[in-house]
Amino acid sequence: MYRRSLLVGASSLALAGSRAAQAQGVIKVGFPMILSGPGALFGEPAMKGAQMFVEEINAKGGVLGRKIELIPRDTKGNADEAVRQARDLILRDEVQFIVGTLTSAEGPAVSTIAKENKIVFIAPIPKTDQLTAPANLHPYVFRSSSNTTIEGRTAAEIVAKWPVTKIGTIAPDYAYGQDVTKAFVEHLKKIKSSVEIVDQQWPKLGEADYTPFINAQLGKKPEAVFSALWGGHFVTFAKQAKPLGYFKALNNNLIGVGEAGSIESTKSMGADYPVGIWGNTYDVFNWPDAPPAHKDYITRLKKYTNQEHPSSWPITGYIGMQFLTDAIAKAKSLDSDKVSAALKGLTIDCPLGSMTMRAKDQQANHGQFWGRTKMDPKYPFAILENVTRIDPEPFMG
Amino acid sequence: MPEPSFLFGQFLGGLTAAMFLFTIGAGLSLIFGVLRVLNFAHGSFYMFGAYIAWQVMTWLGPGTEYFWLAALGAATGVAVLGVVIERLLLRHLYGREELYQLLFTYALVLILADSVKIIWGTGQLSASRPPSMTGAVQIFGTTVPYYNLFIMLLGPAIALGLWLLMHRTRLGRMIRAAVMDREMLEALGANVGVLYTVMFAVGAFLAGLGGALVTPVKSIVPGMDVEVIVEVFIIVVIGGLGSLWGTFLGAVVFGQVLAFGILIMPRFSIFAVFALMAIILIVRPWGLLGKPLSR
Amino acid sequence: MSRRPVPWVLVLFLVLLCIPWLGSRLYTFIATDIAILALFALSLNLLLGYTGLVSFGHAAYFGIGAYTTAILMKTYGVPFVVAFPAAGIVAAGFALVFGFFCVRLTKIYFAMLTLAFAQIVWAICFKWNDVTGGEQGMPNVPYPDLGWMSAIPGLGSLRSGDHFYLLVLALVAVAIAALRRIVASPYGRMLSVIRENPERAEFIGINVRLYQLSAFVVAGFFAGLAGGLFGIFNRGVFPDFAYWTKSAEVLIMTILGGMGHFWGPAVGAMVLTLLNQQITSYTEYWPLILGIILIVLLFGFRGGIVGAVVALNRRLRGR
Repeated sequence: MYRRSLLVGASSLALAGSRAAQAQGVIKVGFPMILSGPGALFGEPAMKGAQMFVEEINAKGGVLGRKIELIPRDTKGNADEAVRQARDLILRDEVQFIVGTLTSAEGPAVSTIAKENKIVFIAPIPKTDQLTAPANLHPYVFRSSSNTTIEGRTAAEIVAKWPVTKIGTIAPDYAYGQDVTKAFVEHLKKIKSSVEIVDQQWPKLGEADYTPFINAQLGKKPEAVFSALWGGHFVTFAKQAKPLGYFKALNNNLIGVGEAGSIESTKSMGADYPVGIWGNTYDVFNWPDAPPAHKDYITRLKKYTNQEHPSSWPITGYIGMQFLTDAIAKAKSLDSDKVSAALKGLTIDCPLGSMTMRAKDQQANHGQFWGRTKMDPKYPFAILENVTRIDPEPFMG
Repeated sequence: MPEPSFLFGQFLGGLTAAMFLFTIGAGLSLIFGVLRVLNFAHGSFYMFGAYIAWQVMTWLGPGTEYFWLAALGAATGVAVLGVVIERLLLRHLYGREELYQLLFTYALVLILADSVKIIWGTGQLSASRPPSMTGAVQIFGTTVPYYNLFIMLLGPAIALGLWLLMHRTRLGRMIRAAVMDREMLEALGANVGVLYTVMFAVGAFLAGLGGALVTPVKSIVPGMDVEVIVEVFIIVVIGGLGSLWGTFLGAVVFGQVLAFGILIMPRFSIFAVFALMAIILIVRPWGLLGKPLSR
Repeated sequence: MSRRPVPWVLVLFLVLLCIPWLGSRLYTFIATDIAILALFALSLNLLLGYTGLVSFGHAAYFGIGAYTTAILMKTYGVPFVVAFPAAGIVAAGFALVFGFFCVRLTKIYFAMLTLAFAQIVWAICFKWNDVTGGEQGMPNVPYPDLGWMSAIPGLGSLRSGDHFYLLVLALVAVAIAALRRIVASPYGRMLSVIRENPERAEFIGINVRLYQLSAFVVAGFFAGLAGGLFGIFNRGVFPDFAYWTKSAEVLIMTILGGMGHFWGPAVGAMVLTLLNQQITSYTEYWPLILGIILIVLLFGFRGGIVGAVVALNRRLRGR
């Protein structure tokens, strides 16, 4: 029995091997991403951005004369699954690079795998500071997204200008929520000593019923709230909070980090969206001060995704892939160590302008758009009013 | 000391959650009581209810009063699915070891979860409350949405309805007899097969109804099946598998422990309900209001 | 004409020992995975197949073992030689406490209580941020220091993953040998007596609960060892290790292979892992296929793969 099964196993393995060999000459990039569940609201468009970038660069002949093959995998928003997929991508599909992961649980978990296999890993979305903190930094992990320090401090700068002192927070109870809330609270207390944190709620990521948290928070009567619920989680939260009079009680003084201001979030809620709150986003299709490169990007994206008002998340996948291919071009090699060296300090010219991967912490200076949401008769969903792109440099430490 | 209005709000929030869980859990409990099968796929029925309701609403017009029709349609659809499963497969496993029954219902969990992904995709879907239910009322200084009020009233109504079914109809008498002694009932010549099918359909109907009714307040998303079955499992274990009022009590306890647990130990309220369940299983394995099983 | 029986198990062990020299990291990876899961499934079968106890919470002990080793090695820098046995001991300790309550119940209530305790373990792993890392688990569990293996002639050229595989294979082999001794001992036969007829066993003066509890603890111990290895292999431990679906998975492995035979669960672990590897490269709907396999198994092949092979063999010989 054992022997027979082993034979079956061996032949199946051989099959996998030959598939890998067929595709020689291409550069294989693994793209583990949340493609199902509440996180897919952001993960799916992020993948579209990466795919568009790959199609465009392949049409121009690829990098170093080689085409790029993007291999997306669903991580289901689960770190364990992300690890499994990353290892599978490396061992079975024999990818040379990994760009991807979404949550701050997935990012650090996959970073371990990248380090062990000496494969360059660019995280285009996970924000936890821990990913590139000195203790966890290694030559193969890079982050092209913003991080919790930048995001938390930027939010604090905005809230400090509001005429409020009693602050509540609500954040998912894992690395991202904890780190961004900490960065926000510390910075806010530093720049405005009169504030008082009156309440902190920590629902789990993916909580289905936020009602007890909402009521408990209302009971503490905060004047403003910092929320770090993201993606479909924010949608669920807002849907439950609105009928309970939550946003009214706060007088809309809520700042939703985790891209609560992204078009994906506002679109998916339609009329249920709590218009009037503040939020951030990685991209806006109607950026008033957009450079020509961005306008051009939006036009291409519209066509690629077949959307009249294109999503904000594709830019994350797009930039992650651009860092990778620019680094490969600069290194003139696919060797992990050479690409890693090329990435350090690399400046790319992306649709948002120029962006640099800092050598010292392998973190890009990626700022975000911030603004207050409002309904605009031109669109069937809320958009950001007076949207501004905030320079991350002063907050990066 | 927090304000009374706040505590009241927390209480009502817990109660709403409880009545949702009761609607779903009553079916699980009844099925166990009669068929002696712990149906892991009950959460899958709930998920199907939610997706079918969403589908019907999308056809008829989202955000309209057709919501009610969609909810009933979804519950009926799930009941039909339940009948098919029971007739074709489950009945061949009656009287077999628990292990096979448990694994069979787990196989259903796997199959139904992927079916949902194949039919409706993997993203998160969302539905709105019907227009008649969008408002809210102030009770003791607390905002209570109409819809929550409706759910809080629906729970006891379902409990009462099931009680009447069990105690005032012939079917109910047979069901109760089956709970107490299956062999006796068979000896008396009752058609136990039909009884089981009906019970399974009623249980599936309630799960589907619960799923349809949560669509305006929760997200419709893959994984909601596995998530809810854990919660429902807890309430029926606390209350007593097979006991209608036990399930009701279990749901209320669960809702309140979660609601007030957040105030007392914010990060460990989940742990509190699991601990409660374990304590009850240790001292009273048949639950607060359940009866020890005759073998 | 008497032939010496071929020592198949030894042959198999030697064959498996050669896998790293095939030179594929993938083969080593899959073989490591299978070896660990085989131990996990075999430990469950001590309860399921030998004692007749349907545990629906066996993942709890796997998870406890994984967290024990991971916390000791990552947080406290304890060497593997201590952290690995600790996984089994801590898991056995929990199994003793939980099992004490579980064995007082029978049948479906036993299954439910084991499930309930497993969910409590999951909740603790999920929420105790300071110790377990909470929801995001603990990534970056270090490999044990296997530098000494490079010094052994012939092993120097292998990668660290291969070294770890050899370590896993050796440890799993020892654990399985121990399990085999246990089930073949008078104690193991007593468990089978209890499985066949607990009332009768009670009647002839066997302390059924004590035997069941001891089996529960032993099974927990080996599941803990498997978990300890898996956490390192996986390079991270996550709360899902103790989730109820994980308990269901190991049950499926066990009955797929066949719980009536000692090696059944190991075969189940291997077939399921290889199938998963194969099928997931064609379709994302692995759960659907697993569900269908399970239903076919439940309705058609109660004895699992080994059971079917044994029956076939018997029929062929009978002719």
